[in-house]
Amino acid sequence: MTSVITDSFTHDHHRCDRLLAAAETSLTLGDWSEIAPAAQALVAAMEQHFRLEEETLFPQLAQVFAVAANPIEVMTAEHAQMRALFEDLTAAVGTRDKDACVGILETLHFVGQQHNYKEETVLYPMADGALRERGEGIAACLPAQ
Amino acid sequence: MLNTTGLSLDQAPPITVPFAFFLAAPFFAMLVGLLLVWQGEAVLASRWSPAALAATHLLALGFLTQIMCGALFQMLPVLAGAPVPGVVPVGRLTQLCLVPGSLALSWGLYAGGRVWLMAGGTALAVGVAVFASAVGIALARARGVPRTLMAMRLALVALVMTLLLGLMLLTALLGAQIPRFSAWVDLHLAWGLLGWAGLLIMGVGYQVVPMFHVTPGYPAWATRAGAPLVIAGLLGATLATGMGRVDAAAWLSLFAAVGLAVFAMVTLSLQRRRERPRIDVTLLYWWTAMLAILASAAAWLLGGRGELVGVLMLLGVGVALPTGMLLKIMPFLSWFHLQHRQVGARRFAVRLPHMQVFIPERAARVQLGVFLAALLCASLAAGLPGHPLAGWLGRTAGAALLVSSALLWWLQLGCYRRYRRIRCQLG
Repeated sequence: MTSVITDSFTHDHHRCDRLLAAAETSLTLGDWSEIAPAAQALVAAMEQHFRLEEETLFPQLAQVFAVAANPIEVMTAEHAQMRALFEDLTAAVGTRDKDACVGILETLHFVGQQHNYKEETVLYPMADGALRERGEGIAACLPAQ
Repeated sequence: MLNTTGLSLDQAPPITVPFAFFLAAPFFAMLVGLLLVWQGEAVLASRWSPAALAATHLLALGFLTQIMCGALFQMLPVLAGAPVPGVVPVGRLTQLCLVPGSLALSWGLYAGGRVWLMAGGTALAVGVAVFASAVGIALARARGVPRTLMAMRLALVALVMTLLLGLMLLTALLGAQIPRFSAWVDLHLAWGLLGWAGLLIMGVGYQVVPMFHVTPGYPAWATRAGAPLVIAGLLGATLATGMGRVDAAAWLSLFAAVGLAVFAMVTLSLQRRRERPRIDVTLLYWWTAMLAILASAAAWLLGGRGELVGVLMLLGVGVALPTGMLLKIMPFLSWFHLQHRQVGARRFAVRLPHMQVFIPERAARVQLGVFLAALLCASLAAGLPGHPLAGWLGRTAGAALLVSSALLWWLQLGCYRRYRRIRCQLG
């Protein structure tokens, strides 16, 4: 069985993990000219990942595999949770509130980790099984590493 | 068929189930703190003193096992897609047996009353039976990362073994004749600390260490060999004790301890390569616990005093690691449950605070500092019996443990109160 979706989307999760770690590093250094772009890069990467899932991967999976509807709904709800945190983060960067940035990034990290775990162990293997060779095309839309 | 349970929060238990366990635990550590203030030297000078036996069981059952039970009820649906059947009544019944059972047994060991020992043993037997059956069913159904599941299943077996050996030892205290009594006590201790606590720490660590601080995953050789090595050592030690080969049993238990020490070394090396740069209080607690595992294994290998090994394992691992995990897990669960409720109620006007508002990091660091003072003083007192300062060190350790546990409870309570307040706002 192919695992192209599991492999490539998991890889993209790790890209986002590293961007979150980089944003945290910039906060420890305390230079706001670094913090703002680091936070923006993180939000942009995660948004891009969510959009590919919501506009391409999830609809195609739901089309061929009706059982996936419920897990997809849960995953999309968690995307909304994280988007609320993106707004909080952008606002905290705007007011240069370091403690808030640290706390929001930590919350985003934990929500993201348990979300990724569920996608990587349940939803992506399901998509690999259901979409088969179409997975290659979807995975190709992810940003080059 | 792919397993889709655990994807939704609906599969998780109500937040009050794990929180009831988490909020009860610090009281047992406070009791041990009081006991040390009162009789610190006696507790730390000999593991056979009634006060030491009571302190050991208050920590191992009332604090460590209590938190491990609450955490398993919470984690199994998420990590293994395996909700515990009837989690609310099972959780309540487990705690209803565990809390009075631990208190009665500890009092019986301290003051020597047959009724207390029998009542404590019975309550704990019922509690562990209920817990192990329900969690056993969940673990049998679980799908997920095989190495984690294997370690968790073996940990549950070790809990049952610890209970059976404990009940056997109780019959000896009540008058039955058991040859080589102290060897069976060592075996009970090994199954409890290396098996139940050690294996569960390994199973949970395989998942949460890479997740919490973005480290590389555990190498396959470590996860493949770790738990089987520990369980093989413990089974060998049990066989040897049964055959009267006490020396061989000690070596085989040490073999199991080495398995845990290797896990600690691998964990420290992975955490050194973490991508998240922050050194938060949870990471500091993990370092404390892993170093305590290594120090206790070294003390054991070098023929150090059993009391020192006990202090390092019980306080340094058994209190430190659960505390560090709680300081992260409780804010996360609070935030996550509130977010879920907010989406359900569509009350987006209410702003949710981030995790560190639930338990402030700075206050948590103070708690860690006081705890480390307790650990240091208790280790010195246990390592230097008869030293002119041993009495003072024991009492200071007690006072610091009392304060650090009270602080932990205060931080937990603050987290729960903030959760309740925002939940009211969400309707």
